[in-house]
Amino acid sequence: MKEKTLIQKFLGTWNTKTIVGVAIGAALFGVLMNYGSIRVFTNTSLTTAMIVPVIVGALFGPLPAAAAAGIGNVIADLIGGWGFWFDWSIGNAVLGLFVGALPLYGAYIEDGIFELKHMIIYAVVVIVGTALAFGLVTPFFTYLWYGGELTITLYQGVVGSVSNIIVLLVAGIPVLKVLAARNAKASNLRRE
Amino acid sequence: MNNGFIINLIPGETFLHKLSGTTKVRLFFVLIIYLIMSFDIRLILPVFVAGLLGLFSLKTDVAALRYIIVFVVAMNILNIVLYYLANPHLGELYFGQETLWFQFTDHYIVTYEEVWFLMSRLLKMLATFLVSLVFILSITPSEMAAGLYNCGIPYKICTVVELAFRYIPDIYRDYQNIKVSMQARGVELDSRKAGVIKRLKQTILILIPLIITSFDRVGDISNAMDLRGFGKGRKRSYYSEHEATADDQKVKIVYLLIAVFDVLYIAAKIIYKIPEVWYPW
Repeated sequence: MKEKTLIQKFLGTWNTKTIVGVAIGAALFGVLMNYGSIRVFTNTSLTTAMIVPVIVGALFGPLPAAAAAGIGNVIADLIGGWGFWFDWSIGNAVLGLFVGALPLYGAYIEDGIFELKHMIIYAVVVIVGTALAFGLVTPFFTYLWYGGELTITLYQGVVGSVSNIIVLLVAGIPVLKVLAARNAKASNLRRE
Repeated sequence: MNNGFIINLIPGETFLHKLSGTTKVRLFFVLIIYLIMSFDIRLILPVFVAGLLGLFSLKTDVAALRYIIVFVVAMNILNIVLYYLANPHLGELYFGQETLWFQFTDHYIVTYEEVWFLMSRLLKMLATFLVSLVFILSITPSEMAAGLYNCGIPYKICTVVELAFRYIPDIYRDYQNIKVSMQARGVELDSRKAGVIKRLKQTILILIPLIITSFDRVGDISNAMDLRGFGKGRKRSYYSEHEATADDQKVKIVYLLIAVFDVLYIAAKIIYKIPEVWYPW
């Protein structure tokens, strides 16, 4: 297979498989956001949903990951009943872009490639991405659309960032490792 | 909370059910913009009442919904309390004045302005919840995709939304099954018996099989769609979408009026700097 360029990896190929993958990712995101979370602070909880964009990103690329996170968050808001917070949806989509960037630095979960090097890059990307998404992007849109309330958004941003980083590292790395190990079994043939 | 009750796949028989997907989606959009743009209790209250009327007009099994309604109301009240604890001086921030009602400590005072703001906020949240609930109850995933498509959104994205809604009940059921079977094997998820980090680690044991089963579906679904020629054409039509009926035309006038009001209000808000929250005194 021809090696894809960086931009192609970033955009992902939008074929039927990717569309279905993004949809399933968004559904999973919605379900986990509503039912698989541990409440920490107002409108913010230790949700395991952020794992989903990581997986979507690993399988299909960063932009599909962002779409899954953004659409998933809107769906979660729709069935969750806490009102629509599109500032957070956009923040989550931006974060999805970062955490879903696994193929860009050579971690191919589908082929079972996820090594220590990738874990370290993943951890750094998670921390930088969260800080950017919740510290900069979300407050910006909050200010733009809802005005005022910045103190509370910043509180939520800090709590949300910390809990997201914990989830993405404590739960994300083991999940990725297991998935990589599972896929590696299918491809341990070596060329002689 | 059982999502099987919320997302329905079979169109119903009442007035709202029978509107076309386009009408429902557009009405929903203008109402959500309406609710986001204002904290004004005079504007929110009519939508809240309309939402209640809409909910009753759907003739759904209210007993099945009781759990989600209680849950959402309780959660919103909890949120309001947390909001108060985070900043008890919101009244000052929004209205520039504070009238003392009573006080707990020097910091935690209760002012009329604060109570008014939190009430407006609660009502706004509940109105948003009602509108979303009525929307979800009255629409099928297919109609939603058709509606979004007619709003000019590319059909591939509409398909993402449609499929996501279609599979939420399935994934939720898988999630429950995996959770119960893992608990039967001794995974502790009770907050009284395990700390946050411990529970998080236990959640991984549920997540891995859930992710694997969910994404294993992708191949089957995409093959089935490819075999039916999905994504070959530039346009797409929807079986569930019907011609606009007389009722659709009437509702169209309503949502067009609301849309015009939305635009005017937002413009007025930017130009004349209308205060965020209306406070009569």
